Amino acid sequence: MSNEVRTESVALHGVELEVKRTGAGRTLLFLHGFQPVAPEARFLQLLGRRAEVVAPSHPGFGGSSRPKDFESVYDVLNLYGAFLETLPGKVTLVGSSFGGWLAAELAVRSCDRIERLVLVDALGIKVSPRDVPDILDVFNTHPAKVKQAMWADLSKAPDHDEMTDEQLIALHRNWGSLSLYGWHPYMHNPRLAAWLDRIKVPTLVLWGEQDGIVKPSYGQAYAQRIPGARFATIAGAGHHPELEQPDHFADHVLGFIG
Amino acid sequence: MDAWWQCEIPYPDVDKAITDAADSVRASLPNRLCDPETAARHFDEVMDEFAYCDELGMNVVCIEHHAGINSMIGSNPMITGALARQTKNVRVLSLGTLISLRPDPVRVAEEYATADTMLRGRFDIGFVKSGGTEFASANMQPMNNEERFWEAIDLVSKALTNHDGPISWEGKHFHHRHINLWPGPYQRPMPPMWAATGDPRSAAEVGRRGFRHVLVLRGPEGTKAAYEAHRKARREAGLPRVTTDNFAYAAMVYVGETEEEGIAGGEKLLWFLNTSLKSAPQYNKLLPGAAPPQAAPGLYRTKPKADAGITFKDAEKGVTSASQNAQKLMQLSAREAMQQGILFAGTPDQVHRQITEFYDKVGGFGHLVLIGRSGHMTHAESMKGIKLFSKEVLPRLKEIAPVEVG
Repeated sequence: MSNEVRTESVALHGVELEVKRTGAGRTLLFLHGFQPVAPEARFLQLLGRRAEVVAPSHPGFGGSSRPKDFESVYDVLNLYGAFLETLPGKVTLVGSSFGGWLAAELAVRSCDRIERLVLVDALGIKVSPRDVPDILDVFNTHPAKVKQAMWADLSKAPDHDEMTDEQLIALHRNWGSLSLYGWHPYMHNPRLAAWLDRIKVPTLVLWGEQDGIVKPSYGQAYAQRIPGARFATIAGAGHHPELEQPDHFADHVLGFIG
Repeated sequence: MDAWWQCEIPYPDVDKAITDAADSVRASLPNRLCDPETAARHFDEVMDEFAYCDELGMNVVCIEHHAGINSMIGSNPMITGALARQTKNVRVLSLGTLISLRPDPVRVAEEYATADTMLRGRFDIGFVKSGGTEFASANMQPMNNEERFWEAIDLVSKALTNHDGPISWEGKHFHHRHINLWPGPYQRPMPPMWAATGDPRSAAEVGRRGFRHVLVLRGPEGTKAAYEAHRKARREAGLPRVTTDNFAYAAMVYVGETEEEGIAGGEKLLWFLNTSLKSAPQYNKLLPGAAPPQAAPGLYRTKPKADAGITFKDAEKGVTSASQNAQKLMQLSAREAMQQGILFAGTPDQVHRQITEFYDKVGGFGHLVLIGRSGHMTHAESMKGIKLFSKEVLPRLKEIAPVEVG
């Protein structure tokens, strides 16, 4: 038995926000990474068994509009602050990759609407010295190398020759939007690490063992700065354990939700 | 018609085996491949060539590119300053301090004001939108490039035309709270402005602003279309007609004593296309914003479907789609490049005719920019080409008077 994934549009602060929903239970807000959630993704189904998964596409991604001058990660954060207010009760906030940066920032600002936090291969902080980048520069690296860094199993990477024109157009638009939010400083807030101890809710930091975009050691550094946070790795996964190992991923997250 | 000679001071000396194996000859090649003595010799030769142009009455152009074998002029204003002292007669065009890639346009305005003063007004300012590997080199956001470009031009213009003490600017892209240039520009209100751009939207803006509009290696159809977008925008804004003096075209140009010599020189210039453009996909087709989303099918597929998406090519920035037409650009022969109107080569008569034919095809233009030396062309060959063009072709071009267009 599978749950239907519904896609709707929410008008919020000048943005037409595409939101996918599935499942039933306590609300789980999923903030995606480089690409929006695919409705057929197995992890959505698995999480939907015990939670109502709400998965918006960031402005400029998927079916979400991006208004003029809406170009900063702080625009995105303010929008999601408003979006959180539209959800009933408190949420389990799950952020993957770029979405993990968003989730950490939201939790630092306020845990009023958040009851638990899951950071999955999250971007967003700087831990290494100034001449050592923590996050692979996906805009400045050959796509073949990016692919190797992203996926433990290269056959899981999207095959562009199998995609429709429409899908490729969306992919490229998403890429452009991502570059706006994460260009400079690159994919992080230089001061975020200093504020992670403001996070007051139970936190799980999950990492693909073979993530080459942000290494597990970076994830450990993230977890160490959040009071009481747990750190766990998933074998056989790179930057997207939710896609490469959906069952293990769901086990971790649902076990954490309780 | 006037002429402006340029050489980007490339570094063609990297072993072909290395450039063939590298995925990019721009942005990411290590500079241990750039021998300092060889680099210095190239600078010496080209600065001498610029001086020779001055002696023979041909204007000169200074370009700017970063981190690649294509050009070692990473700082346009520095070369412009050197040209200020070593030229006496001709005008100097600074075509492309990369205004949208510098963090501080006020600094650029200062550099321009300094150059104009040193040149005692023999100075034209040109803006290019840049692209490709330059974003990596400059660490600047590619999606916003065009917006930044126009704001930077506005800020430079404001800085140059302000004579009343400190002013401020808090724009979307640039903040500079205290702007007060000493010296201001020599030319008042400010030096003539050029902009290099081919797409209709920015061409229209160039038109409305009354800039000198230069198309680079675009060919007759694209050039004509851009000029027409420029003129149409002026008409629609109720602005007065301009003359052909506001239009320019940049092509590879080589004049020989014989047709063979001319074409051989032209072939050497093609290095610009066949060797110096190569850049890895993350710097061109996959660069965010380099192509609109609609072009994506041609960018991502490895097995392109026929006519997938919109075809997209831009020789100047090395952006190509997977389409076969675009790939061919890098493999052009001299004859093909001539047919495409991006190379003018041959005897003086032949080159003169090619230029006037191009003039007729695009509805007239008043300035020819010559990409006159590239690749493995020697200093002697370059000097000879400059001499033949200046003595045998340029006088005839100067007889073509400006004509009102629009």
